[in-house]
Amino acid sequence: MELLAYIPLGIDAVFGPASRISILGVALPLTPLMVLAGFVLGIVVGATPGLAGPMAMAVCLPILISIFGYGADALLPVLGFLIGIMKGATLGGAVPAILFNIPGTPDAYMTTLDGHPMAKEGKAYQALRIAHLSSVSGDTFSDIVLIVGAAFIAVAVEEWLDLPEKTALLIFSLSFIAAVIGSSVGKGLIAIGLGLFTAFIGTGEEFYPRLTGGTAILAEGIPIAAAILGVLIVGEIFKSLDDIRREGIKPTLAPQRTAGDSGKLSWSLLRRLFPHIGRSALVGTAIGALPGIGSTLAATIGYTLGAKIHARKRPFERPFGKGAPEGVAATEAANSSVSGANLIPTLSLGIPGNTAAVFLILAMDSIGGFNPGPSVFRTSAEINPELVIVFGLFTSMIFANLLNWTIGGVFMRHIGILTRVKKHILLPIVLLLTMTATYIQYTRLSAVVFLLFFGALGYAMRKLDISPLPFVVAFILGNQLEETARQAFAATGGDAFFLFNRPVAAAFMLLSLITIVVMSRQRSREIP
Amino acid sequence: MKSMIRSMSMVLIALFAISASASAHNWAPNGPVKLLIGFAAGGGADTQARLIAQDIEEAVGWEIIPEQITGKGGLNLAMALKDEPQDGTVIGMVATETLGYNLRAADVGVGPNDFTAIATTAGFQMGIVAKSDMGWKDFGDVVDAAKSGRAIRFGTMSPRLSDLAYLLGKAQGIELNIVEVKGGKAVMNGVNGGDMDLGFMAGIQAKGVAAGDLVNLASALSVPLKQTPNAPLMKDYGLEFNSDGYFVFIGPGGMDKEVRDTWIAAISNAVKKEGSRSNGMISKAFGGPTVISGDTLQAQIVKEFEDAGRLMAVASQ
Repeated sequence: MELLAYIPLGIDAVFGPASRISILGVALPLTPLMVLAGFVLGIVVGATPGLAGPMAMAVCLPILISIFGYGADALLPVLGFLIGIMKGATLGGAVPAILFNIPGTPDAYMTTLDGHPMAKEGKAYQALRIAHLSSVSGDTFSDIVLIVGAAFIAVAVEEWLDLPEKTALLIFSLSFIAAVIGSSVGKGLIAIGLGLFTAFIGTGEEFYPRLTGGTAILAEGIPIAAAILGVLIVGEIFKSLDDIRREGIKPTLAPQRTAGDSGKLSWSLLRRLFPHIGRSALVGTAIGALPGIGSTLAATIGYTLGAKIHARKRPFERPFGKGAPEGVAATEAANSSVSGANLIPTLSLGIPGNTAAVFLILAMDSIGGFNPGPSVFRTSAEINPELVIVFGLFTSMIFANLLNWTIGGVFMRHIGILTRVKKHILLPIVLLLTMTATYIQYTRLSAVVFLLFFGALGYAMRKLDISPLPFVVAFILGNQLEETARQAFAATGGDAFFLFNRPVAAAFMLLSLITIVVMSRQRSREIP
Repeated sequence: MKSMIRSMSMVLIALFAISASASAHNWAPNGPVKLLIGFAAGGGADTQARLIAQDIEEAVGWEIIPEQITGKGGLNLAMALKDEPQDGTVIGMVATETLGYNLRAADVGVGPNDFTAIATTAGFQMGIVAKSDMGWKDFGDVVDAAKSGRAIRFGTMSPRLSDLAYLLGKAQGIELNIVEVKGGKAVMNGVNGGDMDLGFMAGIQAKGVAAGDLVNLASALSVPLKQTPNAPLMKDYGLEFNSDGYFVFIGPGGMDKEVRDTWIAAISNAVKKEGSRSNGMISKAFGGPTVISGDTLQAQIVKEFEDAGRLMAVASQ
């Protein structure tokens, strides 16, 4: 079957009669409902400072799995819900940034620079509308690139990369992530090393479990979800609670008055915004397609680039940082266009691009029936069920975008109240939910112990200023790296230098080295 | 209304099924049952296990929760299952070679009698498979290609199969680059994607062979393949061993006979019932169900464990 023939199959998997459930006598398609629910939850979570999209995804995933089970029909509703959260949270993050000068999500920090000054001038609604328009435009653009690009990249990888090259590509991805994320290249490498070490516990080809110290609890390997939730979510909660303990509880802010602010965007304003939206969408998409770099960097680059061009082309107008509508547009378009493109490496290579993608991979891994990687895009005489899922996923994303264009803006303008929710009350609730959710998924107490252990590790890493994301990506890719390397070694007839004596593999290895060396030099220069 | 009638009839069927099974065997699990699956998610064996679980759920109304415990050729599952309660609330699905070759190779002081063999569901339709556009008709063409200097990559999915592939090459005087991956689906992906030239597939190749994309170059069993009866056997290429084996449900050792027999009935009914989900799948991929159960199966697995030593000894020479 041709690739294009999967488009109707994907749409059918989402909206078709087989996927409908009966609610009050009306048959409704389940996946779109889940996307809607996730989307609304995402906006709420994004708008609540101290919570973030990944946190909601983490808590919801085990609960969703316990509801929908491990069947193949569970994949699309669960993934749809998670995608809804991902998209909603990006949008919601702008709300507290504009209204209260608090970024709801880290990538909304740049939005505070212009959005909040606008709100102080009584243009809060206008700023929110600009944020919505830019966010949705960026997101839609990014999704289109994903839909067109993912299959192309997967097919190219399958066509051109042999086992040694695939091994080298994984090594390059890990080096790249170590080099660009976090406070220094060295710390990134430490996190990668720790992640690989953790992945290697209890796994491998040999019949006896390695690195377990003879304990039965480690013999099956580390429970993946518990380790990831621990480092990413529990670690963050521990750190935030520690911050609250040190700094005390901050008083609640009063919202800015927005009387007389209709928020209508005039055509002349829109014409000024479009170039910024377009440029930032390109920047965000390009960054999103590279594994490991998240939306925060995209927002920073989109904003800085926009500021420079704005200052050069329109020196007589209000500069970025003083309440320029263009500033909001440049940031929001950039950070929102990361989410779609991020799924390019996720789906076509199985390499998670950012934290949100980590949870999508975790969902696919836990439910089963879908193994992201080049083979997903294979077309043959029979129907490839994984490819149907991919197109179902694309359909869900387009549906989420439609929601975003239509009801997203209305929602986002009415949830400013959430920023009053107090962090010191919220975080223990999230901690309890995460522990419960982990227990539900594994139904054994040892999983909760693992969760807390990795939570402590995540806390320690944050205290030492080591980003946990390289750890998680290395943990996810560790076994894939080992397997591919073993296979490459075997396939080349036991050639120990398979990474270096083939041009493409050698190029990836060289690039890995260059990335590490150049980035660490550049970074050491940045430190005063 | 229609759905009400449907749900009512479902309840009636379930009640009937429960009473029917109760009349045959008094035992029924007193809560949800954990079904451990020792195969990679999404592969043929995993699908089979989940379909059987669904069929049993529908037939007798037990709640079955599948859980993946993969790795080490099913031994991770076996080790986890060993210490579970013997009351029939935890069972697992592996291949017979898990308790045969793999358990023997692991040498961890655990034998097949530490488990209760319940029932097999289907025999492997293990073929040596390549893409049809490689132009090979049978394994002899592969031998010719290797002798003319071509490096051949042979995909396998277990250490036992790797031993067999090695000995097959040795018997023909050729060297094969044996690439061991996780599960038959990974072999199929590797062969389709060009990472491997050929490989062992235990039934997952059926659709591809029917469509003409893949070709069974040889049967790796002691008997011809059901789908390609004309393909030569490994015996024809001078290999005295074969890869005969089954998908098998097992429980912790010392399971009560009544509990075991109830499970045998449930599994056997599910896979043999025409029109059931698992029956449809098994018929397509494995040419129909093969149910060996109880003491016969236990004895067969013990024998496989004992025989495994000979293959290892020959392969390590």
